[in-house]
Amino acid sequence: MKTSVSAALVVVLACAGPAFAQKRRGLVWDDRPSIVFGEDVKVDLRAKVQFDWRKFDPQIDEDTFDFRTARVALKGDLTKHFDFEIERAIDTGDSGFGDWKDVYLNWSTFDELRVKAGRFKMPFGLEQNTGATDVDFAYRSLASQIISPGRDRGVMVYGEISGNDLTYEFGVFDDDGDNGELKEPQFVEEGEDLKGVGPSYAGRITANVMKPLPVADNLKSMRFGIAYTSAAIPEGLNSLRGQSIYGTEDFFEPVYTKGRRQRFGAQFDWTPGPTGFKAEWMQSREERIGQSNRNQDLSDFVGTGWYASGTWFITGEDKDDNINPKKPLFQGGIGAIEIGARYDQLEFGSASKTGTAFTNPRSEHLVSNSDRVWTFGVNWMLNRWARVITNAVHETFDDPARTPDPGTDKFWSGLIRLQVVF
Amino acid sequence: MTILRRAGFGVLLVLIFTGRAAAQSSDDFFNPNAIQRIELWLNDQDWAKLKAAFQENTYYPADVVWNGQTAPNVGIRSRGLGSRSGTKPGLRVDIDRYSDKQTFLGLKSFVLDNLTQDHSGIKETVAMRFFARLGIPVPRETHTQLFVNGRYEGLYGLVESVDKTMMGRVFGSIGDNVLNDGFLFEYNYIQENAWRFEYQGSGLDVYKARFDIKTNETKSDTTIWGPIEELVRLVNNTPAASFEQTVGPKLDLPGFVRYIAAQNFIAQDDGFNGYDGMNNFYFYRLEDSTSHVFIAWDEDNAFLSPQFLFNTRLGDNVLTRKTLEVPAFQAQYYNVLLEAATSASDWLQQEMQRQFAMIANAMESDTKKPYSNSDHATARDAMLAFPAARITVVRCDVAKQTGTTLPAGCQ
Repeated sequence: MKTSVSAALVVVLACAGPAFAQKRRGLVWDDRPSIVFGEDVKVDLRAKVQFDWRKFDPQIDEDTFDFRTARVALKGDLTKHFDFEIERAIDTGDSGFGDWKDVYLNWSTFDELRVKAGRFKMPFGLEQNTGATDVDFAYRSLASQIISPGRDRGVMVYGEISGNDLTYEFGVFDDDGDNGELKEPQFVEEGEDLKGVGPSYAGRITANVMKPLPVADNLKSMRFGIAYTSAAIPEGLNSLRGQSIYGTEDFFEPVYTKGRRQRFGAQFDWTPGPTGFKAEWMQSREERIGQSNRNQDLSDFVGTGWYASGTWFITGEDKDDNINPKKPLFQGGIGAIEIGARYDQLEFGSASKTGTAFTNPRSEHLVSNSDRVWTFGVNWMLNRWARVITNAVHETFDDPARTPDPGTDKFWSGLIRLQVVF
Repeated sequence: MTILRRAGFGVLLVLIFTGRAAAQSSDDFFNPNAIQRIELWLNDQDWAKLKAAFQENTYYPADVVWNGQTAPNVGIRSRGLGSRSGTKPGLRVDIDRYSDKQTFLGLKSFVLDNLTQDHSGIKETVAMRFFARLGIPVPRETHTQLFVNGRYEGLYGLVESVDKTMMGRVFGSIGDNVLNDGFLFEYNYIQENAWRFEYQGSGLDVYKARFDIKTNETKSDTTIWGPIEELVRLVNNTPAASFEQTVGPKLDLPGFVRYIAAQNFIAQDDGFNGYDGMNNFYFYRLEDSTSHVFIAWDEDNAFLSPQFLFNTRLGDNVLTRKTLEVPAFQAQYYNVLLEAATSASDWLQQEMQRQFAMIANAMESDTKKPYSNSDHATARDAMLAFPAARITVVRCDVAKQTGTTLPAGCQ
């Protein structure tokens, strides 16, 4: 595995000459392999590979090496009215393929009104809607991983008004996103059908609210947004679950839910020059109708998370173009180097705080637990395709009994990621 | 009546009722002289799931109500080996499953025995009370009617869990510790792999598989199972001449002899000297001690037959055989059999009759039991015939073995 990744890196480095977009048909190289059929009709071949080396202190049941991402995709334009993407994960299993990622057709004739249909990310969560190879740190924040719904099948109308000053996205989806899908086996009585989650509805509005205000110019690019989702959840151990940053260890087991799952989100994004600042707050509220030990309604199950992060290209690149170093490696420079830090936390518990708290998944007052995470990172972008990401992560759990290593509440981990994208 | 008098009367009532409530204890809960009433309240879907997946040990949350007192949000799960049932599940109730600090009458857990393998319904409770009379460590037990979500689910045995709390009750505190915090093991019967205390080698894994640790689980394997390996080795390798001196500090040998003699008296065929190797006991290494003791558990296969031989399989089990090779312990074995006969003569049948009368209505209206009321009546008659016949058989057998005068009625 390491050999193939190294070979890919060498190929990318060798190809790292100036991009030569060509106004011709057939197979061309335009930062990536592309088949051009004519004006406004082309198909790009894309690929993403991420390979991690990780170290944990104290040691937990995680692999030292992790082939985090391997995807291939076709992305292109069908005319100037339609574009599409088909992306699928490569798996090490027998089939060779894993999950479908983005599979959609997009109608984009007008900026003010566009329609996307297929499987794609629901419009909730700034970081969740940023590609896995474009985020500032190796892992998204806990709230982005767990509360944000992620991809689903659906239809969405969206657009930009007044340039990019105001954007909107509203969609209806089959389930409730990959992150909200049912993970526990469902129990049904004889003769009953399995019940699915959804449909769900999601919407988001973002705006440059500072733009019309009499403030300094570099403040006018601040972007704020709000988002909301709603979905029907069937009866069962179907709540969102708290998982540590690596996504494999529970710090909050799922509880019994039935009713509506709602998410509320707020986001902030500001990228003045070589720096970037992002923050999000989001909350999930899941109904527990008839879920008590005595079949009575329980207070909502609530997950609340937020993060704030800052990054700085010490080599001076503009944060908006963070994938494109001014002086790539072997072309008179060392590439681009960005440093950053993020604080994030996620807490689960019940809306009710009265009476004795229990960990029982049918308790009115649940014993809450939270994971608070500091992430420090250095991103070294060798060229537009290759990146080395180094992160140090410190997690602290409120309840020492519910951590990746019960009895221990603080964990350090380190990660070095090699990433190639074209 | 003046306001003051009314207030005084109210205070008096409060004191009376709170006094009664405060007086309730685990002894009341396990009171063998009264059939209890326990209510479990759990989500309808969980009760259906537990019954559908009765072979699994999945926990479900529930509220327990007894005598006006409620323990909220306890954990219950299906339990048992051959007695598991999806119609009338045996249940383990863990009071502290979802809150470390929660106890109920000082208990952290208890067991609801579904009595599916005992058509009489009283074998276990009679056996345990009889053992207690003989000074053998036993859990407290009685009967209860179990109601789940308001529906009668049948007659159950209410059994004290063998845990740290019980160890504290039986063996007392040591030093400043609140509980007797030794090493408690539940013997794990492995099907088709009978074991009769033969030495299994110096590796600890085989002992780890047989003895499930229930306390001090975080200690090292050597600390937990090392002394058991040593005990089994010494039992197997020590000659009779030095057996008591060598093994005695590691095992309460007089207590062991008393335990196996009592099991023989009640014709327990699935106990320490069971038909398929050892079964149904807890094993406890006392806190700050090297000595182990046996604790009786699950005697619902007792009272097999009054003709049960006094020496059934005594030569099969290494520990039993080598202990009884010591003349003093062989003599003790016979003495305990006679002691049991004496104890039973003026108590056992009366106790059986008392318990049958106590459970009669609850048993008859139990529609979840896997046997008929007629089957129960047959089992009851067999039980009631056991004591007199057994006392005679045992006294005669012991007299024959020890060469003493045969009592009347011997064949």
